[in-house]
Amino acid sequence: MSANALIPRNSLAWLLIAQIVVLLPQLPRLPIWVAVLWLSCALWRVQIQRMRWRYPGTIFKAAAIGLTVLGVFTSQGTLIGLDAAVMLLLLLFMLKLLEMRNPRDAMVVIYLGFFIVATAFLFDQSIVLALYQCFSLLVLVAALVGLHQTPGRNDPARAFKTGSVLLMQAVPLMLVLFLLFPRIGPLWSVNAPGQNAATGLAESMAPADIANLARSGELAFRASFSGDIPAHSDLYWRALTLSNFDGRRWSHSSLASNGGAGEWTQQGEAVEYQVMTRATQQPWVFSLRGATTEDEDLWLTRDFMLQSKRPVSQTTSYTAVSYPDSLMQPSELDPLQFRLYTGLPEGFDPRSRAWAAELRAEYPNDSDLVQALLQHFNREPFHYTLRPPTLGEHSNDEFLFDSQRGFCAHFAGAMTFVLRAAGIPSRVVAGYQGGELNPRGNYVLVHQFDAHAWVEAWLPGQGWVSVDPTFQVAPERIERGLQAAMQEEGSFLEDSLMSSARYRNISWINALRLGWDDVNYQWQLRVLGFESERQMAFFQRWLGTTDWQRVGVILLLAAALVMIPLALWTLRPGRMHRDPRQRAWQLLDRRLLRLGLNAQRGEGPRAWQARLEIALPNQRTALAAFFDEYVEQMYVLGAELPDRQQQVRLRGHLQTLIRQLPRKRPARAGVLLE
Amino acid sequence: MRPSGVQAGGRASGLFQRWLKRRIPAASQVRLNHRQIFIIPSRAGLALLLLLGVMLIGAINYQNSLVYAVTFLLGSLFWVSLHHTYRNLASLELHASGSHAVFAGEAAPLHIRLLAPRHEHQALTLGWPQTQPQRLDVGKDSDTRVDLYHPTQQRGWFSPGRLRIETRYPLGWFVAWSLVDLDWKVLVYPKPLSVPLPPRRRAGAEEGDQPLGEGVDDFQGLRNYQPGDSRRRLDWRAYSRGQGLHSKVFAEPVQDTLWLDLEQTPGADLEQRLSYLCGWVMQLEQQSRPYGLVIGGTSFGPAVGEQQRDQCLRALALYGRPA
Repeated sequence: MSANALIPRNSLAWLLIAQIVVLLPQLPRLPIWVAVLWLSCALWRVQIQRMRWRYPGTIFKAAAIGLTVLGVFTSQGTLIGLDAAVMLLLLLFMLKLLEMRNPRDAMVVIYLGFFIVATAFLFDQSIVLALYQCFSLLVLVAALVGLHQTPGRNDPARAFKTGSVLLMQAVPLMLVLFLLFPRIGPLWSVNAPGQNAATGLAESMAPADIANLARSGELAFRASFSGDIPAHSDLYWRALTLSNFDGRRWSHSSLASNGGAGEWTQQGEAVEYQVMTRATQQPWVFSLRGATTEDEDLWLTRDFMLQSKRPVSQTTSYTAVSYPDSLMQPSELDPLQFRLYTGLPEGFDPRSRAWAAELRAEYPNDSDLVQALLQHFNREPFHYTLRPPTLGEHSNDEFLFDSQRGFCAHFAGAMTFVLRAAGIPSRVVAGYQGGELNPRGNYVLVHQFDAHAWVEAWLPGQGWVSVDPTFQVAPERIERGLQAAMQEEGSFLEDSLMSSARYRNISWINALRLGWDDVNYQWQLRVLGFESERQMAFFQRWLGTTDWQRVGVILLLAAALVMIPLALWTLRPGRMHRDPRQRAWQLLDRRLLRLGLNAQRGEGPRAWQARLEIALPNQRTALAAFFDEYVEQMYVLGAELPDRQQQVRLRGHLQTLIRQLPRKRPARAGVLLE
Repeated sequence: MRPSGVQAGGRASGLFQRWLKRRIPAASQVRLNHRQIFIIPSRAGLALLLLLGVMLIGAINYQNSLVYAVTFLLGSLFWVSLHHTYRNLASLELHASGSHAVFAGEAAPLHIRLLAPRHEHQALTLGWPQTQPQRLDVGKDSDTRVDLYHPTQQRGWFSPGRLRIETRYPLGWFVAWSLVDLDWKVLVYPKPLSVPLPPRRRAGAEEGDQPLGEGVDDFQGLRNYQPGDSRRRLDWRAYSRGQGLHSKVFAEPVQDTLWLDLEQTPGADLEQRLSYLCGWVMQLEQQSRPYGLVIGGTSFGPAVGEQQRDQCLRALALYGRPA
């Protein structure tokens, strides 16, 4: 490829196609003007190729770069960070079209394409994108092949075929590297891309928030259990505790979390499970009550939340063991905590406070008071609904005494308010309840609509006890899930017509959905989640060692092993003949070629022998023996193959001859080549 | 003569040439194999490795399995392309299939046959550093003939030096090449200079001062004037009689032989004198006039015709040079 050659027309077509293919998965994340920009660049480049327009000048290019940077700044709000960098990279990738004159520029475009294919995975790691990007890489590689074909003989179909063969051959070595290349931690701390808030629980909760969440069919996380899967009603996935109330919203208090792990007494049966969560951009993760973990990235807060050291910015999995029957903080609360968990803002909900005082007078025992409250929810005509009425300033009063219609957050918030007003330390717990069993993979899928809020009250001697007022009103919600609870109202996922979870009742759709989910789960677990811990487990299981030196040796051996077929294919000395006579001839031919002697095309054995005898006068006898035998076998037998005895004889003569051949090229070899 | 395909001078280059000579000796046909093929990553290949380094750091920092996968896939592809690029040269056969003599300053045509007994070879580049490289494909089992041209400067035997055959196919990440010495020898005649013929010197006769190269002795008759005829040969008498324009025709006497002698050729510079002689030989051949050449104690001719011409030009080309 000479550097100043021009890009042939079909190479340009290739590059444009490759650009579309590479950019396509990125476009949805970007403003619409990016697509317009690409179209204009492509049009301009095509017009250049057609000699209609000219290459842009330096001033124009500088202006274009300036505008691009400005565009990135306005759409991202910053020029620092991965999102902005990737966007800038994409725009340069497009602008490079206007500067692409010769094959070297085309190479730059293709390299940028490779890079962009890789960066797309920072934003999305789905199986669909991964398959699509295999195709993108194929197109880029084919474009590269096309660029290196003989000019004027470019053949896209062949470039495609060659590209596929190359990629196929690269796969074995890639797998070895993927499995054995050491997964080390980040070299320096980086912000994960896609900081925009993901759907999910937030750090504070107004009563209507969770109802909104319940309209989303998105997946929150998956959990697989090493033992039996607990009953639906026992799956209370804690995410975070909400300890502060400002009269309107319940919010998380770092005061409640900090200060080391809460003390608790382990008891009851253990439940072991693995959770695979998607990126939430939040530090908390999901666990059942009484959780312990050996994961180094996780720690247990004082209010028994499992937290990650960094916000969860990508799909992450972790293993935890829970003891749901444990006693959480059975000893006394310290005064500071007591004040925190009984604190309420002044001036809100006077009717609730008065009612709390009545209850306190009636039930001096905390435990009795909690039970009484739960029974109140059960007895009174409370209604569980996804369409709660809007509430005014005194939201708890209006909910408890007027509307009596609400979602779990209304029940949990109101109950906690009353408990605190009665002087019982309590808090709201936000998380998810239940989950859908996928029988194919034997794991539980927890969706956003499983979001739930319940109450934890601190009782002397028992510590923190979980109670769920929603269960009193809509037990089917806890036992069978939201869809069952909303059957009558018909409000389940009413806004998301496209959500496949909405059509769970149609069995074949449901089977497809669950099957696809299982594929995704395995993908996340085995491919995306292949990080240092999993790699160590893999080494231990398959190699029987985790010692890096040994793994290194095995890595090299395995890499060498997968490279052998390719090396053989490259260096293979041509296919051997099936006819033993021809095979012997070929062997001798090859050996003689090393001495600089080769038979002419179509040269008969006798003529060749005569020439050889001049070049190798000392081997005359051996030459004669071999050639005589060869000629005899060839002409006597014809198409018939020689028998065993004849084969051995020919082979013997050949070996004698080869043994006698000189190591270096004979002085007279030149004579034969003239 | 030093092969012009390599840089002159330098001890290292001399050593390299000797090593190359042992490794790839001159031969009229070569089948490329691991002895003759060199392969290294190209600049584009090194740039790719740099890119992969950046991608690997990204994969480590973001702990992203799929970025790892892309990086490793491209890294493996790099390795695979090494094999493909090597194979694209391996087992190709090159046969020198001759050339013919040229005058100094002309491009020597070098014919080559390319045979692909095993598989197809794509996007090969053939040439010398001084020449515009030629790009071509060689199909399996096809017999491809290529004419390469190499400029010549000096008379004598010319050998174009090692032919560079190179390929970067399929991905351009590696450059595989070989420097084959196809044992080419092209005879280069001196550059012919077109100057008037020297005064005729008849064998045995004293030097005359007659007009150059024209027989005027035996008048044979008249023929119609043709453009280009010398004015001195016009028959003015016949013209004045109104018989039209006629040229007189004289018989070329057999013994009217022009002897060209290096010793007698004017000029100080040997090369220039040889060039004069070369020009004269060509001129005389064009006029089909017999001539003889005396050079370095040997004489050729007198005669005219292809054989005489080739003999004389060869003698001129090789005068003072090893044969």
